[in-house]
Amino acid sequence: MTFTAPGRAPWFQGRNRAIGLSLLLLLLLCFPQIYPKSYVMGVMCRIFMYAILTGSLNIINGYSGQFNIGHAGFFCVGAYAEALFAMKIGLSFWLALPLAGVLAALIGLVVSLPTLRLRGIYLAIVTLGASEIIRLLALNWEGLTGGPMGIKGIPSPMFFGLKISRSPQYYYIFLFLAVLFYLVTDRVVNSRVGRAWVSIREDEAAAQSLGVETARYKAMNFMYGAFWAGVAGAAFAPYFKFISPDMFSLDEGFNILSMVIIGGQGTLVGPVVGAVIVNFLTEVLRPVSQYRMVIYALLIIGMMWVRPQGLVGASNSILAEKKAGFWRRKPRRPAAKGA
Amino acid sequence: MGYYLSQLINGVCQGSIYALMAIGFSVVMGVVGLVTFCHGEIIMLGAFASYYAFAWAGNNLLVGILASFGASALVSVVVYKVCYERFFDAPHHISLLCTIGMSMLLKNLAQIIFGPNFKPMLDVLPNRFYGFGQVGISLVQLTVIATVIALSLLLFLFFNKTRWGVQLRAVSQDRKAATMMGINVKLTSLLGNAIGCGLGGVAGMLLAIYYQTLIATMGGAAGMKAFSASVLGGMTDVPSAAAGGLVLGVIENLGITFTSASFRDIFAFIFLLGVLMFRPEGFARKQGSRP
Repeated sequence: MTFTAPGRAPWFQGRNRAIGLSLLLLLLLCFPQIYPKSYVMGVMCRIFMYAILTGSLNIINGYSGQFNIGHAGFFCVGAYAEALFAMKIGLSFWLALPLAGVLAALIGLVVSLPTLRLRGIYLAIVTLGASEIIRLLALNWEGLTGGPMGIKGIPSPMFFGLKISRSPQYYYIFLFLAVLFYLVTDRVVNSRVGRAWVSIREDEAAAQSLGVETARYKAMNFMYGAFWAGVAGAAFAPYFKFISPDMFSLDEGFNILSMVIIGGQGTLVGPVVGAVIVNFLTEVLRPVSQYRMVIYALLIIGMMWVRPQGLVGASNSILAEKKAGFWRRKPRRPAAKGA
Repeated sequence: MGYYLSQLINGVCQGSIYALMAIGFSVVMGVVGLVTFCHGEIIMLGAFASYYAFAWAGNNLLVGILASFGASALVSVVVYKVCYERFFDAPHHISLLCTIGMSMLLKNLAQIIFGPNFKPMLDVLPNRFYGFGQVGISLVQLTVIATVIALSLLLFLFFNKTRWGVQLRAVSQDRKAATMMGINVKLTSLLGNAIGCGLGGVAGMLLAIYYQTLIATMGGAAGMKAFSASVLGGMTDVPSAAAGGLVLGVIENLGITFTSASFRDIFAFIFLLGVLMFRPEGFARKQGSRP
């Protein structure tokens, strides 16, 4: 019996998958040459950035079943860390990038430590609080962060003497980071560690009784997610050249969360789908932008009613469990094959 | 010394508002049994309801209380129908995400309807001040404390002396057993949710009167404080949630005397982390209610 990775279609395995993904990558690599319009490049950059953010949130919410609803906080840490490293110390972008991620991961550890042995809601409220506190610190610690005025003129990264300053060039940075993220994450979630995370999501008590150190794996999971959020923030700061605390409000966290929920939790492709759909909606809804968050909220509620795992979420998992819903379906989980 | 004493009074006053929010939160948590993330938005709606009630009916505190209680209770019925009713048997994260969606919805609708900027609250109470030696207390503070005490007493009487109250407590203790005793659990949950949210709405009104401002995004911090305070009582115990609110208010006000007022919300967060670190199950331990 062949091993079917959970949440992956049977025809999209092995060689088919490799060929398909390579073609997609080739298309994405050529895209700026085919269609070098600045507006489209900007949208693509945002989609890649959100693909990293939502992917890292999905690692926390979708794979280990913890609740992080303040992901914008780690994004904020990464962005400010990169900006400060670059402006105050003059550190190169390529060094500041991982350092910002590590800093975000450490803050993630501090945030998740008190709640590791508690039910998920405690982590949810703590992350919500942490996101708001990080924003407040950025707003009020004027000596370091410039307060409400933010930080202006963040230097552009250099790539072998070439200054990267325009969207088509940033496109490649974001593409590189997104591909790196998904390659690494694919390896991680299909490893021993990733299976431990999924087992925690499905049944924490059972996982513990089978010898999974749940607290340690949950902390590891949270740090991994926070790390990539920090990296995304660090790539965002020089791209936008200006950061201020109100870019990282709770609404930003909810924005990321809605992408994950709409796209799907517990699969790698889900958050990408969510990021594409929601960013597309953002562009379409530009004329009525004040209704944007209202529409996302309605989408979240509708998704919970109709399909709680999201559009392409992990259907054979606890995320899809729904005993009484809008449309009753047959009972879930026909015993995940081979898994 | 007088300065610290008056900060203590401020803390008690603010803490009593937090206590009312936390009482509402604990009632919802206890009776419905699912976590709500839109309590902050309910509080905000209560504040706005009272604002329009005061603008329409003059400065009558009772009208404001009724309006904020009624509006929040009405919205809570919608919340119940959308977020809880279908999901009692489903995994808890579904209704949790639903309440998050609801909180986004309410907040952004409020921003569209009421405007995104700070609104000055109407002068409901005369700006009077009573001094006792070094310390003083304003009429607003006295009114806030009196309102909270009166509402808590009413709630206490309701819970202990009426049939509905007994049913609510039964559902909060054990849903299944309550069903077997012939209690209409769904209706009782709806009622408990409405009462808890209504109390939250009144707390929102008091918050608006105390700070003299209103904003559509005030719900986030308020909800977090309600949560932090009720964690002290293990999320479902009403008296210790009230105590938690008082403690939180005092800590906040003493904290900002040593730092600056812009760090106010940080103390609530530190308080929450501290409680979770050292006593996550709260001080009112109930059998079988491990966090």
